[in-house]
Amino acid sequence: MTVQWWCSAKGLPWRWHWQAYPGVWIVVIALAAVYARWSKPLEAGARTHAVSTGRRIGGWVAVVLVWLTLDWPGGPLGTGYLASVHAAQFLVLAMVAPPLLLRGIDPDRVRALFERNGFAAKIIRAVTKPLLIMIVFTIVMLATHTPGTVDLLMRSQLGAFVLDSAWFLSGLAFWWPIAIDLPVREHFGPPMRMLYLFAGTQAHLYLAMWLLLADLPVYGIYELAPRVTGLSALEDQQVAGGLLLTLGGTYVLAVISVVFFRWFAEPQPER
Amino acid sequence: MITQSSSVAALGERGAAREPCARRYLSIVLRPSRTRLAIALAFAGGLVALPGCGVSAEGGGRAYRGAVLAHPIPRPSFTLTDTHGQPFDFRAKTDSTVTLLFFGYLNCPDVCPVHMTNIASVLRTMPYDVTRMVRVVFVTTDPERDTPEKLQKWLADFDPTFIGLRGTPEQVKAIEKSVGVAPAVAGAADSSGNYEVGHAAQVIAFTPDDSAHVVYPFGTRQADWVHDLPLLAQVK
Repeated sequence: MTVQWWCSAKGLPWRWHWQAYPGVWIVVIALAAVYARWSKPLEAGARTHAVSTGRRIGGWVAVVLVWLTLDWPGGPLGTGYLASVHAAQFLVLAMVAPPLLLRGIDPDRVRALFERNGFAAKIIRAVTKPLLIMIVFTIVMLATHTPGTVDLLMRSQLGAFVLDSAWFLSGLAFWWPIAIDLPVREHFGPPMRMLYLFAGTQAHLYLAMWLLLADLPVYGIYELAPRVTGLSALEDQQVAGGLLLTLGGTYVLAVISVVFFRWFAEPQPER
Repeated sequence: MITQSSSVAALGERGAAREPCARRYLSIVLRPSRTRLAIALAFAGGLVALPGCGVSAEGGGRAYRGAVLAHPIPRPSFTLTDTHGQPFDFRAKTDSTVTLLFFGYLNCPDVCPVHMTNIASVLRTMPYDVTRMVRVVFVTTDPERDTPEKLQKWLADFDPTFIGLRGTPEQVKAIEKSVGVAPAVAGAADSSGNYEVGHAAQVIAFTPDDSAHVVYPFGTRQADWVHDLPLLAQVK
C-alpha cells in the first residue's frame, strides 16, 4: 500500500485499491473542528441557535462533501484520470461547500469578530470586497483551468494541494458576501448580489463551453492517463464541460432565484 | 544578469529590511484605490492571456512535433502473420504510405492503449486525403497471449483498419533491432500467471519516401498527431 499525503497524478494504471491520504484527513478534521466551533452559539450554555438546524446540518454536509471529494477514490480519479471528476471536484470545492459552510456559521460570532476588529476581521474585510473577490475568483477559475496550469500542478502533491486550496479559499471569499451580511455593505443589496453572482460565474460557463466544444483533449494529464472508464479522453472532457454547464449553471441560477424571491418577498419601506 | 533565484533572494532581503510581507500585503489591500484596481485588472488580463503565450516556436516549413531522428531509418523488409493468418509483407504492403509502426501487447495497462486511442481518435477527424495515406501496424511483443482473434478484436475497438501482426519472439526481436528500438522483455509472472512486457514506447513513422524521419514517444498528444500527420503524408 502506497501512502501519499495528497493526491497527485502518477500515470499508473487505475486500480480499485484503497489508498491512504493522511493530508486530506488532517485538512478535513481541521475544517470540521473550525466549523464545529464557529457553528456553536457564542454564549456558553445557550440553548437556542441563531442559525436553523437545516443550515447547521448543511455545513456538516459540506464537510463530508469536501472529504469525499478529496479522499480516495474521488481525489486520485479527479487528479490524474478523469476530467469529469475534476470538474465535479471544482463544483464541490468552489461552488457548493463554501456557501453551505458559511451559512452554518453563527452570525453572532462573526459580529463579535468584526466588533473586535482584529487581524482576522481586517483580512476578511479586505478579501471579501465584492468587486475585488469577483475579479480574483474569476482569475483563479481561469488560471486553474488552463491546460498548462492543470498539467503542471497535478503532477505533484504540493501542486494538487495548491489547486484544491485555491478553489476552496477563493470559493469561501466569493460566497462570503452572499452568505454572510457582515461587514455591512449598504450598496450591496439583492440586485447587486444577483449581478455579482451572475458576473462572478460567467468565466466558468465559458470554460464549460470550451471543454464541451473543443475538438481535441485539452489536458495532457487526462489525455495520456490510462483509461478508467469506456469513455475516451475527449468524451470525458465533454462530460466535464457538461457538468460545469448544467450542474454549475443550474446551481448558480437557483441561488440567483433564491436571492431574487427573498428580495421580492421583503416588505417594501413605506414612503 | 540577475538569475531567478538570486532575484527572489534579493526580493526577500528587501522585504525583510522594510516590514513583514503580511503587513505589506494588508497595507495594499486594506486601502482601496483606483490605481490598485487598475493594477488588479491588468494582472487579471495578463493571467488570462498567459496560455496564449505558451505556443511552441516553430521555424515554419516542416517542423514536426515528434522527435526528429538524426539518421532516418529505412523502411524494413519483413514478413509476419496478420490476424487472418495470412503472411503480411510489411515493405510491399505499406510501400509509399505513412506507416505508423508500434511494438506492444494487449495486456499493456498504459502506453499501448493510449497511443492507439490517440491515433485512432485523430484519424477519425482527419481529411480523407491524409487518412488514405496512413497505415497503422501493431506488432505484438507477447504472441503467446495475444492470439490472432484477441489481437483483431482489440485493434478493431480502436479502428478496424489497424493491422495486427504476430511472429515468433526471435522474428520480432530482429525487426525491433532493424528499426533501432530496444527489444521487448517479458517480466516475471505473478502468482496468477500474469506478467508485464517491457517494450519500446515510441511509434515509428515511416513516410512515403520509405524512411522514418520522426518517432513519437509516449506523451505524444492528439494535437501533435493532428499537426504532424498531414506533414508526414506530404514527404516525397
